[in-house]
Amino acid sequence: MVTMEPIFTDSSAHPERLSGQLHTGRVRLVSDRQSDASFLIHHFLSFYLRARCKVWFLGLVQSFNHYSAVSQRLGVSLAQAKEKGQLVFLEGLKESLSVLIPQDTNTGSKAMDFLRDPAVGLKSLYEFVRSSVSSSGSRAEGAEEWGPLVLLVDDLSVLLSLGVSVGAVLDFSHYCRATVCSELQGNVVMLARCDGEEEEGDGDDEGSETLLKGLTHQCSLTLHVQGLPTGFCRDIHGQVEVCWRRRQGDGQSTQKKLFQYKVHDKGASFFAPGTSSAVL
Amino acid sequence: MLTELLQGTDAGGFLIIQDSASYSGRHLLKSFINAALHREEAVHVLGFEVSEEELKDGLIGASIHRLHFHNAYTDPLGWTHNPAFTVHQFCSEGVTQLVKQTSQSKPATLVIDSLSWILRHVGPPAVCKTLQQLRKGGAVRAIIGLLHADMHQRGTVGSVCHMATSVITVAPGMKGDEALAKITKRSKSGKVMQDEEIFSFKEDFTVVVQNRPSQLGLKQTETEERETDPTANLTFNLRLSDTEREAKEKLALPFVFSKEKKTALLHSGRGSGRILYEPDANDDYDQEDPDDDLDV
Repeated sequence: MVTMEPIFTDSSAHPERLSGQLHTGRVRLVSDRQSDASFLIHHFLSFYLRARCKVWFLGLVQSFNHYSAVSQRLGVSLAQAKEKGQLVFLEGLKESLSVLIPQDTNTGSKAMDFLRDPAVGLKSLYEFVRSSVSSSGSRAEGAEEWGPLVLLVDDLSVLLSLGVSVGAVLDFSHYCRATVCSELQGNVVMLARCDGEEEEGDGDDEGSETLLKGLTHQCSLTLHVQGLPTGFCRDIHGQVEVCWRRRQGDGQSTQKKLFQYKVHDKGASFFAPGTSSAVL
Repeated sequence: MLTELLQGTDAGGFLIIQDSASYSGRHLLKSFINAALHREEAVHVLGFEVSEEELKDGLIGASIHRLHFHNAYTDPLGWTHNPAFTVHQFCSEGVTQLVKQTSQSKPATLVIDSLSWILRHVGPPAVCKTLQQLRKGGAVRAIIGLLHADMHQRGTVGSVCHMATSVITVAPGMKGDEALAKITKRSKSGKVMQDEEIFSFKEDFTVVVQNRPSQLGLKQTETEERETDPTANLTFNLRLSDTEREAKEKLALPFVFSKEKKTALLHSGRGSGRILYEPDANDDYDQEDPDDDLDV
């Protein structure tokens, strides 16, 4: 549950505001630098499930039980959603076992095949996403009608650690965008993480910085999570910089907004800088 | 200079719009497309990065039929079975064929969105070769390309921009809807002109150029505060009357070596103390010969 402090009255500024109007065809990039933005992924997951959207979750870093436990706290049951067919979950860790420990009775999908040879790229992962997403779109009668499709990816940077090149990850995200946003009129939310300080200049070509820049060019909204520049604070856990890259239909002139956030037991709250309840 | 470029690149011209993650140059690219359409030119777009709806969004008008979008967005790498246009088809023959299929006899303006996509998959030498062949080929009148400068190494960006006749680098401006454009234009005579302009967009993608950044910027208007008078509002008097001020200015300070003192010392007057000195034998003490008996 996302709570907004009452001081914050600009309704269009925060994408998580439950305005009841779900934009489609948007790509949102959640990124962090030396911080942990996974709370936003949990938030988006519960937000879209509560909004009765069809959610397709590509979970590469944590097990299903982890997300399930967190979502329980946020008031959403992932197991139930999965049963009803609202949530389709690719558990990357489990699937990768079939690649890493090959067995004869293996009938696993080809999704994680890139682990065998990362240089090949992520075409098989994309094909898995595509077939699953398209087939679930044309569900038989009698099934519940769900809202627009949402693809959540957690996270893309781990693919770099697994040996996949930056170009391959960017191609994968491009294809996901082309399929989910343009063809199926859905939304995409991706998480990408960065470890070091922002570097200028040539630096290393293959790295999380280049991936982040490439993904930023592809998306319409970025949410960049960082720690506070002044250091650790008990009441404010960090700041989120929201940046709109495409011009909005209503001609919004502001392109960047900075919020501070605090992660609670049951969600996160966002507020304008300096208006934390601990301060006022 | 931005307005001149928008009014029409010369034949054989190659314009590059360089942008970065902090500011997208696609909007300016759309302005160029819009301007070309208004000039009744046929515009062919090789769209890799955005879909047709997204690119055409906002470009209204009767001349939209002159815009031919070649879909390289849905399947640029040939991962599905029937791709429309793949990145590997980006060669001068492929592009020329594509343009000639749908265009009339007049050479068209080719817009590439984006060059970065192509450079990621096809190496810079091949891209430069294709661009050069297209310019000389004759099927294409002018080329406009979008390049994400922060996605490539500086050498790659430099090589591609070297081929361009004009390069516009866009960056976010100081105010919300303004942007800064750094323009480099190479004319046929070899003269290079550079300029910096601040611009913004109107609803119909026309560009409004504001005044130059040197006129704006940090206006350091230091308002000189009038010094408060320290001698006011006191219980005692710190002010000087005119006579007192005169006497103060006349006063010679004790340790200042003025001209009068100098002459007084040099030419000591009569009656002042004189010092007479007669050398005494005891005063002549040689450290190295205390008894004065060495025959040196």
